[in-house]
Amino acid sequence: MSVDYLLHESSVGYAVFKVKMQADTIGNRLKEVQEKSQDLATFGKMVTVVSFAPFQGAAQALENANEISEGLASDFLRATLEANLPKPGKKSKVTLGVSDKNLAASIKAGLPYIDCETGETSEVVADLLRGIRLHAEKLLKQLQEGDISRSQLGLGHAYSRAKVKFSVTKNDNHII
Amino acid sequence: GAGAKGGQKVIIEPWGRHKGVFVARGKEDLLVTVNLTPGESVYGEKRVVVQGSLKDANGDDAPTSVEYRVWNPFRSKLAAGIIGGMENIYMGPGSKVLYLGAASGTSVSHVADIVGKEGTVYAVEFSHRSGRDLVNMATHRTNVIPIVEDARHPMRYRMLVGMVDCIFADVAQPDQARIVGLNAHQFLKVGGGVVVSIKANCIDSTAAPEAVFAREVEKMRAERIKPKEQLTLEPFERDHAMVCGIYQRAG
Repeated sequence: MSVDYLLHESSVGYAVFKVKMQADTIGNRLKEVQEKSQDLATFGKMVTVVSFAPFQGAAQALENANEISEGLASDFLRATLEANLPKPGKKSKVTLGVSDKNLAASIKAGLPYIDCETGETSEVVADLLRGIRLHAEKLLKQLQEGDISRSQLGLGHAYSRAKVKFSVTKNDNHII
Repeated sequence: GAGAKGGQKVIIEPWGRHKGVFVARGKEDLLVTVNLTPGESVYGEKRVVVQGSLKDANGDDAPTSVEYRVWNPFRSKLAAGIIGGMENIYMGPGSKVLYLGAASGTSVSHVADIVGKEGTVYAVEFSHRSGRDLVNMATHRTNVIPIVEDARHPMRYRMLVGMVDCIFADVAQPDQARIVGLNAHQFLKVGGGVVVSIKANCIDSTAAPEAVFAREVEKMRAERIKPKEQLTLEPFERDHAMVCGIYQRAG
């Protein structure tokens, strides 16, 4: 099954990409195919940015990071998808590639006309999302070098501090 | 006590081929890294200051001093592996490293020294108690991104992490190979390095350590990690091995 769009979630915001060219499932593990997504010049021909929705400040970024970590689509994400994916036609459904199956379920619950493929169900999707993660800073033209790592640092601290602070027991969570 | 030992001559040399890792040759040889935050110890480790001189812009001698922190192989598996003779640690100045099982961040601080200001260490630790120390350490070292989260679920922290050059894992869990695989598929560049410390007891306490290590290497192979090297961490740790490999997606 082919994928039409991709969702990339990062510390700076959500980005929707359109897939222009994709490998088929059978050939995906070929060396030549794999090399394509590692080179920005060739990968840039496979996907194109439809929209980049940056977070407005640290609070919104943290709120979205928390929801994404639980596999939930926030209102902001839903609005972003609604505004940037084609409206449902009579027959045509769009297929969106996302990395997490829980998030896929949450998106479908809110926007039933969207079909989701995840990195788990499709290796083609997994590889396209890896390519976006690798080249994100170059693909998203609004960003300057260092923007992503700076926002990761701020968000990492905010996210982790909240975890440590809200631990009720103030003790280790043991897993067996 | 921190600082150079009173007036003692210490010579610094690079450690093997690993960029960013040094040996301080004095009365005894010590593994050291360049302190990213001179004047500060992270966990009470000793520091060594070495005076030197560099030519400044005018070609005149400009006195410089570099501070190093001593890295104890009895406290850090990676240090033990380096002293044990690892061929490649898959990280150096400018590298991005995903560190699974960061604990309080003592070893992470040395990895942060190695990758330097241009590099990044994504440090994942699930325990809240250790996580608190990790977050505190990271406030002094801005190339460390603290992530208090379960390494079993990379999905939960995917917004905080970019693509990395190396994954180091010291999670001491029975499903360690699976955990490393999940993270590699998500975040590790093709051709990136995987360095895993394996404690035989944590995987299977009934089998012989060698058998456990061999099985773990097979599990890593199944996760598309091509094994490159395996060495014991004796005499610093008992029944521990360090296994390194390279991540491949093609084939």
